Amino acid sequence: MDFTNFDLDEFFGMGDESNPLMMLLWIIPIIIFVFYGQRIQLYISGNQIKKDITKLEEFKNESRQKLISYIKNNLNPKDDPVKKIDSFLEYFTIMPVDLDPNGIIPKINHLVHSREDFTRLQVRGLFNEISDFEITKVQNLLEIVTSLQMFHKVTRHLYLTAKKQKNFPLILPLQMMIPFVMEEADALKDAVESLKSGQPIGDSIGPMVVGEMMLNTSKHNAAFETVWSESEFEGRELLLVKAEGPNATVGRPGEAIQNIIPKKKPNLIIMVDAALKLEGEDSASIAKGFGAAIGGIGTERFKIEQVATTNAIPILAIVIKQTIHEAITLMSEDIANQAKSVRSQVYEMITENSKSGETVMIVGVGNTLGVGQ
Amino acid sequence: MSNSEKLIKCYTLLECKSCKNITKRKFTSTDFVFKNEGDCSNCDGSLLITMIYGKTIE
Repeated sequence: MDFTNFDLDEFFGMGDESNPLMMLLWIIPIIIFVFYGQRIQLYISGNQIKKDITKLEEFKNESRQKLISYIKNNLNPKDDPVKKIDSFLEYFTIMPVDLDPNGIIPKINHLVHSREDFTRLQVRGLFNEISDFEITKVQNLLEIVTSLQMFHKVTRHLYLTAKKQKNFPLILPLQMMIPFVMEEADALKDAVESLKSGQPIGDSIGPMVVGEMMLNTSKHNAAFETVWSESEFEGRELLLVKAEGPNATVGRPGEAIQNIIPKKKPNLIIMVDAALKLEGEDSASIAKGFGAAIGGIGTERFKIEQVATTNAIPILAIVIKQTIHEAITLMSEDIANQAKSVRSQVYEMITENSKSGETVMIVGVGNTLGVGQ
Repeated sequence: MSNSEKLIKCYTLLECKSCKNITKRKFTSTDFVFKNEGDCSNCDGSLLITMIYGKTIE
């Protein structure tokens, strides 16, 4: 093909012999895109986001319905729980002002504990008689429905604001964030079944590792919904800490460690927890590191770091990698199979990093649903 | 197929502390890991639930 006689004017339909209609064919779309480009993009992106928002609403309604059915069919409530549950879902939390962050942790801690205590009291009030195990399950289920409701409300707000103001840049952050929101929402929706049945979830791997080490030992209360016991391994005294199973709780490990350390003065702390894997990493792979391995809002980690620093105690961590879906839904076979290997690596860490006669604290971090001790 | 569309079956693994015999059965609502499940059918040892996990049925 010969490109040497290429004529730009002819190509754009602007040559002397060109058809004016051809010229319009180029110019009209350019004009449309200049003036209406953002609206077209808003329309296209908005459609996908709208589908996701509908899905979020379905997730929320579905999990709310499952929670209500579970309470009505299994727990024998005093009255119809629907109105009360719907009012729980609307509760909000105002985080402390952070303009002056000094001293904010105790404020957040107080707020979080007050909210937990209030919810527990309200849940208990729904029934004449209910076990602690069921209360923790209902509390977790309420947390799931509340989170799904929040996801739905916030995404809908951002979408409707962008649409109302015909503001395309406003929808871009939502477009970037929504796949992550959907991934978490999907995991939360699937977590309902495991919670209802009291089955261990991926996050229970930490308590599962330490739970076996606690078998045949005398358990004591370390903090709210948290237990500890003493054991011995190759001349070392072991202090074992985990949330009280098989309840659906993470306990208060920070408070527990703060309570035990002044009495027992351990030389080393080892924390076992589930951790979110990075894309490309294998699920159920094990990694070791330094520092307090504990998630959440940060108050428990703060307490552990503070008490460890004051007493100059090194903290080692061992984590089991998993996706958010694996972490909050029924424990997979791969993750469960790693418990033995993690336990042997914990013992290895103890012998490598402490001497005979020393004291080592092992903390199993995570939701201990379906895992005793 | 997404995770939520897969059928996941939950199993309970029991281990005898004496003869180390391992048995697998379907999960029941009263099961939890490290629960003592009575005596082993092979010997007089005690049966302990050592694992509860989900298996995906494709």
